[in-house]
Amino acid sequence: MYKRIFFAFAALLLSVSMWAQTGGVTGTVVNRSGRVPVTGAEVTLSFGGETVVTGQSGNDGKFLFEGIEDGIYQMTVKAAGFVPANVNVTVENGFVKDLMFVSLVAARNVVEADDSSFAEFDMDDSGYSDAPSILFSNDVYTDIVGFGFSAIRFKNRGYNNETQDVYLSGVKMNDAITGYSPYSLWSGLNEATRSKETTVGNEVSEYGAGGYNGVTNILATASSVRPGWRFSVLSNSAMYRLRLMATYASGELDNGWSYAFNVSARVGGNDWVKGVYYRNFAYYAGAEKKFGDEHRLSFMAFAAPGQRGAQNASTQEVYDLMGDNMYNSNWGYQGGKMRNARVRKTHEPVFVVKYTATPLENLEASATVLYRTGKNGYTALDWYDAPDPRPDYYRNLPSYFYNPNPDYGRDNELKAEWAKEAWLTNMNSTCHLNWDRLYNVNYNNPVEQADGTFLNRSKYAVEERRVDQNDVNVAANVKWTASNLFTLTGGANFKWNRTEYYKKLDDLLGGDYYLNIDQFAERDFASSPTMIQNDLDYYLEHGTAEQIGRGGKYGYDYYAHVRNAGVWANGTFTHGGLAANLALEAGYTGFWREGLLRKGLFAGLDDNGQEIFYDGKKLTSYDADGKVISSKGDSEKAQFLTWSAKLGASYVFQGGHRLYANAGYYTDAPTFSQSFISPRTRNTLIPNLETSKTVSADINYSYSNNGYDLRVTGFWTKIMNQTDLMSFYDDSQNSFTNFAMTGIDQRHMGIELGFRIPFFLQGLSLQGALSLGEYIYTSTPRMTQTIDNSAAVVFNNQPVTYWKEHPIYKKYMIDGVETYEVDLDGNYVVEKNQKHYVPSTPQIASSLAFNYRTNSYWFFTLEGQCFANSYLDMNPLYRTDMAVAGPDGIATPIEIEYMAAQEKFDPVFLLNASVGKSWYIQRKYNFGFSLNVNNILNSRNVRTGGYEQTRLIDSNSGERYYRFDPRYFYMSGVNYMLNLYFRF
Amino acid sequence: MKTLYKIAAAVLAFMSVTSCDEFTPVFTGKYPEPGEYEKVEMTPTHTIAELVAMYKLGKPQVIKDDIVIAGKVSTSDRTGNFYRSFYIQDETGGIEIKIGKTGLYNDYKPGQTVYVKCEGLTLGMYGYKSGNYGGSGMVQLGYEDPTGDYETSYLDVAPIIDRHIFRGEFGEPVVPQVVTESQLPGKDDTQATNRYVGSLVTLKGLRYAEEVFALLYLDSNKDTKLSSNRVFLSRDDKDEDTWTWGITTWAMSKNKYLEYLSSGVWDKAKVGNGNDYNYGTVETNKEQMMKNASAYSVSQYFTMGNKEIQIRTSGYSRFADTEIDPEVLNGNKTIDVTGVITLYQGSIQFTLIDIADVKVN
Repeated sequence: MYKRIFFAFAALLLSVSMWAQTGGVTGTVVNRSGRVPVTGAEVTLSFGGETVVTGQSGNDGKFLFEGIEDGIYQMTVKAAGFVPANVNVTVENGFVKDLMFVSLVAARNVVEADDSSFAEFDMDDSGYSDAPSILFSNDVYTDIVGFGFSAIRFKNRGYNNETQDVYLSGVKMNDAITGYSPYSLWSGLNEATRSKETTVGNEVSEYGAGGYNGVTNILATASSVRPGWRFSVLSNSAMYRLRLMATYASGELDNGWSYAFNVSARVGGNDWVKGVYYRNFAYYAGAEKKFGDEHRLSFMAFAAPGQRGAQNASTQEVYDLMGDNMYNSNWGYQGGKMRNARVRKTHEPVFVVKYTATPLENLEASATVLYRTGKNGYTALDWYDAPDPRPDYYRNLPSYFYNPNPDYGRDNELKAEWAKEAWLTNMNSTCHLNWDRLYNVNYNNPVEQADGTFLNRSKYAVEERRVDQNDVNVAANVKWTASNLFTLTGGANFKWNRTEYYKKLDDLLGGDYYLNIDQFAERDFASSPTMIQNDLDYYLEHGTAEQIGRGGKYGYDYYAHVRNAGVWANGTFTHGGLAANLALEAGYTGFWREGLLRKGLFAGLDDNGQEIFYDGKKLTSYDADGKVISSKGDSEKAQFLTWSAKLGASYVFQGGHRLYANAGYYTDAPTFSQSFISPRTRNTLIPNLETSKTVSADINYSYSNNGYDLRVTGFWTKIMNQTDLMSFYDDSQNSFTNFAMTGIDQRHMGIELGFRIPFFLQGLSLQGALSLGEYIYTSTPRMTQTIDNSAAVVFNNQPVTYWKEHPIYKKYMIDGVETYEVDLDGNYVVEKNQKHYVPSTPQIASSLAFNYRTNSYWFFTLEGQCFANSYLDMNPLYRTDMAVAGPDGIATPIEIEYMAAQEKFDPVFLLNASVGKSWYIQRKYNFGFSLNVNNILNSRNVRTGGYEQTRLIDSNSGERYYRFDPRYFYMSGVNYMLNLYFRF
Repeated sequence: MKTLYKIAAAVLAFMSVTSCDEFTPVFTGKYPEPGEYEKVEMTPTHTIAELVAMYKLGKPQVIKDDIVIAGKVSTSDRTGNFYRSFYIQDETGGIEIKIGKTGLYNDYKPGQTVYVKCEGLTLGMYGYKSGNYGGSGMVQLGYEDPTGDYETSYLDVAPIIDRHIFRGEFGEPVVPQVVTESQLPGKDDTQATNRYVGSLVTLKGLRYAEEVFALLYLDSNKDTKLSSNRVFLSRDDKDEDTWTWGITTWAMSKNKYLEYLSSGVWDKAKVGNGNDYNYGTVETNKEQMMKNASAYSVSQYFTMGNKEIQIRTSGYSRFADTEIDPEVLNGNKTIDVTGVITLYQGSIQFTLIDIADVKVN
């Protein structure tokens, strides 16, 4: 009989049996998944920092050291594809100590990383979150890339955030509505969530078959938290000022119980972006009880409540006026204090119960129930029939008044100078939100009420856009080790989600109420009292729109209902160094919208199914197919069946070499957030929704021996048939429109390299990583554009002609004037087609670093990083025939090369350094610090992302359109992160 | 133990360094409510009439002297019939200030005193046409227009507005003066010769003249001066269909325009201008007109005694689509209206501020 104890660092079996031999150590190195022997693992026994003996495990995973003197040794086990394990071994009385099994875990985060290494940006509600580039860390490449590349917003292999499957205690946590991985749910709980098991790329995990961008499972159970007390104080200058954290974990007590808690506070602003601040807290509590050897029950609850002020992207013109690429337009002074209009306010607690059973030695089963609830809000300014209060509104900028190109019709240089002067001198708060003015407008807007009194109607208010989830998950997993040759894992899962979307009135800014009408509807239907109603039922009952007080719901209110179910299985065959696996998964996704309000624009049928009339006019409207357009009640249900299959094989050679390859085919359902044309106003689904299809393959070689580590990977992925949806004001329509794009294909291929080379000097090593990719769009998607107010179709299923590429035409010079070459038929000659790239990540990323560790626990790192081939996110409107050709409908080479072009960012070189040390006091207390200084060269012109605006500028000639300037995000200049910790 | 002290000292030092610049930059508690803005008081050097009198026909001029005028805000852009500007009025008359921002009524309340430091602003006229069929337009206060397309441009830029336009005390709204037929401006009158031009007035007993005027474009994104792009809806005395062109609203929003257009009431209107009518009719160009639909202003003609008054309303105003009472349209009832008398090419164009200012008798 043996006991199994899992710790965050390592898992090992402790059971001592004594053999009457001379002193030594023996054992079998196994993979924790399936307890399959690991061949060729490097086992090192050291004493006081000096290596005593080194050996390798054999084909059966066994190793044996003999002739070892009595003493306490440190044993390190390393193998390609596994996290190194460290074990203390005591050799006593000349016996050979049998460790039985030393199990290696497929993953754990060994880097002291923190979410402070990446800044949070306001990506206009895209849900863009503070996620690391990669969350796993079980090989040399991901050690370097995982957090080291996050400041530049590197996306591994160019994949989107939602392709990363993130599990917690066996439950898939990706957001039911958007698919995003929800790191923010546990940000600040670094200690409680430190223990992770991860797979890379197309590999299969023990918790689900996964997709093509890896699976991370955060254990989060009380027994998985590193035992003991740990306190840390962290300060950094690029995100928030201070983080305080305390953690305690009991480890497994004799009575079978384990307890753990983790609390933290992250507060303050930073040196680079004004108005951005944290006031975030986090708590975690877990308890676990082991019953006998067969049952284990865990309870956990955690949340990361708090507020965070967000940053906004501006145009280069604004940054240049401010002389600061980190300018943030979201804030202004109120009563001498900085106030940010865009604040994320969240408190989303998660409750988990997990049961694990090991009824047989070769059978392990677990079931988890997870419930997520709470509130998630994001504030913004709202205003009604009043000037746009945002300081960087385009009409406040010099470029609105003057452009040297006369075709813009912006010809007043003097006004441009005045506008510039206002920015340079911050005249009357030009550069920031003018809260005082907003209050004064509200103070002075008395409106007579029915009872003859006067109340001030707010023209400006702060709204809070709420996305409140209720999410129930059940997941069950089984692992059956049929024999040494075959292991079967599998599971089933179900998700029930109901998310309420609504607006809450956060602050009336000095007024008494806000009126619940739709000012965008009012632009088109000003004289209709019913069309402008956000809540038509209220209007029909009371004869007036509702006056909203502080905390009231208004604007829109609807539920997103989502149901997911899935089953999966994975069979792994292992023989000697050879392993092969086949995984299959099948799933169901269904979702629908349930409108809680009847909107005036789309009244639909009344609660009895009858048409609605008001003042003799029919309010019920119908679409082109004769179907009622409704805002209230249930929409049609969108339902999808999905499946995926994966095949993998690996071979471990003697001497630390491993060769492995994976391939997979996946179908994925569109998410709720991609599927409704205008979810705030109506129940209409995008027509012809389909699943996306992905084919992906990778081949890898890794080597790990004598301190050398290497991995080389080649990957190829094609993602097909994706959907995207956006809503924006279209100047060519003079209307707010909805733009649904379908049939988006992209191809990602590239090479990854990671290496670590020990140097002649003990403790000195060189490590590096390279990601060399090409991520491109490969299809011409179709788009359907509708007017938001009327659901009228502007373009139906038209091609987005210049999405994947645009032609570059042949030119020649005549007398210093560039002229386009024309062939005999009078057509322009195409020189080449310029590809368009998947944006917002460098497609070439590299790092080279020297590490030095001393025996006295000092470490030093100096790292240089290079990034290149990063592109700006494209707005599809600018790639349509309409926008390229302009009002005259003729697309000239000049127009094509101007409007369809994609911006490429400049390459970047960065220098980072870190230093740290830890002290042991009385062998009981451990104190340490680490200091990272990033971007030592203080590069302040590094664009990390941004987006194109969707608006068009009319030309004087009437022949073409011009673009609005794009908005950018920049990386912080030189910044530090200092971490002090104390544990016992 | 020594090490422990050292560490404790280091931690304390670290804490004190980080706390220097800690929480002050961003305040996240309750923010104090800002006070009311300070109301300016200035002494005017000129009356509005004196300023208006300084204008010389056809010669926009940048004001060089330190002239200050004061007046109460007499209009509001709340309904959108006034757009990007407002009138101020003193005892001597009124003048339009071309601010250039939208939603002005939020910051400039009707009845509020506004002071204008005129030095550096431009005095110009809009709506002047020479010749027998022409006449005076309105004097406006704006900014230089380097293109020369207009005599003034909008102030537009916050620093220009902030340096010239000052907000004073709130006050009671301007009381409209009741203007009789004989007090209305005649053909040769200007803003300087008739004090009611540019002022808030009430006209009583207006009778519908069964005439409208509207200028439509096949495509307003293209050159609107080309006759091939223009459709005039105006009255031909010989053809009763053209008297009102079926238009029964004060103006037309885009949706109302589409309604009129598709109903066929304009089908026989010709595309063209002056003597150039070679582009078919509304009926033959209807598809293009539907596609490029937008809102349009309409002039509805009334008579006050023997004087003709057009009430011109913007298609972008909130009451554009309001139906005129059928009893008014058929001549059974008259209306009293309150608004601003303006001149456009010598004709009286009456501008409503709100539909509530139309009273049916």
